[in-house]
Amino acid sequence: MKKNKLWSLGLFLLLMLSVVLAACSGGDEEGSETTEKTDEPATETATKEAVPQVLVFGRGGDSVSLDPAIVTDGESFKVTENIFETLLNFGEQDTTINPGLAKEWEVSEDGLTYTFHLQEGVKFHDGTDFNAEAVVKNVDRWKAGTEEQFYYFNSMFKAEGQDIIKTVTAVDEKTVVFELTRPQAPFLKNIAMSPFGIASPTAFEAAGDKFGDNPVGTGPFVFVEWKRNDSITVKKNENYWQAGLPKLDTIIFRAIPDNSTRLNALMTGEIDLAEGINPSDATSIEGNAELQLIERPSMNVGYLGLTSTRKPFDNKLVRQAVNYAIDKQAIVDAFFEGRAEVAVNPMPPSISGYNDEIAGYEYNPEKAKELLAEAGYDGAEIELWAMPVPRPYMPDGQKVAEAIQKNLADVGIPSKIVTFEWATYLEKAKNGEADAFLLGWTGDNGDADNFIYTLLDKDNIGSNNYSYYSSDAAHELLIAAQSEVDEEKRNQLYKDAQVIIHEDAPWVPLAHSIPLLAAKKGVTDYLPHPTGSESLVNVSMQ
Amino acid sequence: MVSNSMEMTAKEVKAVGPWKEAWRSFKKSKAALVGAAIVLFFVFLAVFGPLFVPQGINDQNLSVRLLPPSSEYWFGTDDFGRDIFSRIVHGARISLAVGFLSVILSAVVGSFLGMIAGYYGRWIDTIISRIFDIMLAFPSILLAIAIVSILGPSLQNALIAIAIINIPNFGRLIRSKVLSVKEEEYIVAARAIGMKDARILFRHVLPNSLSPVIVQGTLAIATAIIEAAALSFLGLGATAPQPEWGKMLSDARIHIMTAPWTILFPGIAIMLTVLGFNLMGDGLRDALDPKMKN
Repeated sequence: MKKNKLWSLGLFLLLMLSVVLAACSGGDEEGSETTEKTDEPATETATKEAVPQVLVFGRGGDSVSLDPAIVTDGESFKVTENIFETLLNFGEQDTTINPGLAKEWEVSEDGLTYTFHLQEGVKFHDGTDFNAEAVVKNVDRWKAGTEEQFYYFNSMFKAEGQDIIKTVTAVDEKTVVFELTRPQAPFLKNIAMSPFGIASPTAFEAAGDKFGDNPVGTGPFVFVEWKRNDSITVKKNENYWQAGLPKLDTIIFRAIPDNSTRLNALMTGEIDLAEGINPSDATSIEGNAELQLIERPSMNVGYLGLTSTRKPFDNKLVRQAVNYAIDKQAIVDAFFEGRAEVAVNPMPPSISGYNDEIAGYEYNPEKAKELLAEAGYDGAEIELWAMPVPRPYMPDGQKVAEAIQKNLADVGIPSKIVTFEWATYLEKAKNGEADAFLLGWTGDNGDADNFIYTLLDKDNIGSNNYSYYSSDAAHELLIAAQSEVDEEKRNQLYKDAQVIIHEDAPWVPLAHSIPLLAAKKGVTDYLPHPTGSESLVNVSMQ
Repeated sequence: MVSNSMEMTAKEVKAVGPWKEAWRSFKKSKAALVGAAIVLFFVFLAVFGPLFVPQGINDQNLSVRLLPPSSEYWFGTDDFGRDIFSRIVHGARISLAVGFLSVILSAVVGSFLGMIAGYYGRWIDTIISRIFDIMLAFPSILLAIAIVSILGPSLQNALIAIAIINIPNFGRLIRSKVLSVKEEEYIVAARAIGMKDARILFRHVLPNSLSPVIVQGTLAIATAIIEAAALSFLGLGATAPQPEWGKMLSDARIHIMTAPWTILFPGIAIMLTVLGFNLMGDGLRDALDPKMKN
């Protein structure tokens, strides 16, 4: 008996310590890598400069695949952005269009023909020439695939099963022409997205499905090795077409799931750069002379989705009541530590087409109670889903859920907080099994379409429209906006759509957060991109 | 058996009942008294505390979050601006309820199975004992996690899981006791006059086999409280916003550097309760186990 008791006591202590131990064991492995890292480049760079040009990038999760065309997750793009390049690039910290693998481009009057003039003297890592033919082969590969295979290509360049890109032709070695079936306003922005990195045709034809294990692009870094759930290593592309770049010799992307563990790893010097910093740790980082706090420009929205096919949220009045019941400002102040802006619309104000005339639902529990009474809500308990992992748009879903639970209880909606493992959570929410769920979105290309249409159009039910919101009026506006090339008119369409969405209240928009990163002082010229993935071509260690 | 009859004669001489004698022996141990005092304190807290606490347990006030202990908030506030003192007092009710209820449940089921196994023997004994062996082959917390995963995470299911994993401990204890008790003359006599099995079991065998269960029960409460806290810490027990101590620890984890009081007080509460039950249990064992007598 006694033995059993002591044993359980020991076990409990063990559980308590496991958090700490997890950090330690991670640290041990890390330690060996650090020595590896300092030893190796020391010999290489001894002649150049004292500081080894090695960056260890700590992030929350491992990549799914390194073939950018087949993935949808930010952790994959973070790496592929450095191995692959796109025809066009976004600005360093915005979503303006800049030259990439294409140095110049022209658009026809009718918006149906795009001509790209490619950079000279670019080669893939495997020695294959980058030319118009390579671009054609890439697009043909994407076009031939199903939505299952190439999700982003299908969601960006196919509408109702029809290809928006009719043909792609290589006019000569360095000129490629895209013919569209209908005008697409954000076409250039779409082409600049990470999934459309140009891959070596020789490599993907040879590798087939396995291309993601051995990616070959034109980017500043060459893939070296991938230890699943641990690290991905890339090294400098010695033949990179831009002279003098990249500055780093090696980048190691390390997956450290727990935010506190990752920050500890940064403090002990095991990693050089950490993503996903808890807002509550920001002040201590700012006060640390060894570290710098870096803010990623905000282009996201965190929200509480109200599944409009489920009771009681099939009633618009209940959805509006929930919007009035939640004290968003208090949540932003407490669990984003003020490093966020209270959201009103489904997209952040920095995106053109944002409707700033909508006031947003204020915190008004009395009004919420009235609406609930009017709706005839019966007081049935709802499930409130909270994401199990910290996300850039919401650092601590569990805590936000608990605050919302209290807000809802105050107006008479009893709720139970439910959570699942992350992949299951997304799958179940996608199937419309949640009553109310926390979720968010980081924009891919800075276009309104990528927020409102992607997240709330009826076309995307079963995909990114987790709340099952279906409005024909909004759908018409959003479809019209897709092919409207006049910027002014297009913005007006989005503004009108936001009015409808605000009235129907399929979500409680909560916050546009500022994701935080921290780095050692020596990390120079690291500019985080609002889309969540950036090329590290200019980064160096001082 | 021998010691039992000797005990009987000793008692007749001194004219002191067995319970009184146990109390006398219990009193001698300072540690046991301290343990009992702690347990009584927490029981009192659990029963009456919630009536007197200064704040509602679930009154969120995000403008006073993470305040250090002060005259207004004795134990400080957590990250929802809730009064930690009030939550700990309420938490005593939850933890003790889980401890008592799960132990009662496992003691009842375990004793019943153990008694049947010990009394009837043969294949019934084989089946029940092997089931106990199988259950004991699993680390208990692992088994509890498995059970909760099947039932779904909630405090009630955590309670059931803890009760289930403790059944074999009680069962084996009672079984071995019954094995010796059933050979006693008075049982043989009862059987000889044709008394029914049920009456023999519940009127004669059970009362004479209970004392080790009381000791085991006290110690098991301590274990059960820890297991409940562990399950809640892992997110498999209490759900928000229940002020369960283990859950409070888990919620406060990220503030360990900036607001240590959020993790300190629930930790102390768990430690004290468990310590109390363990000290008391040890004292009870010394008092009730005739073999420990000098």
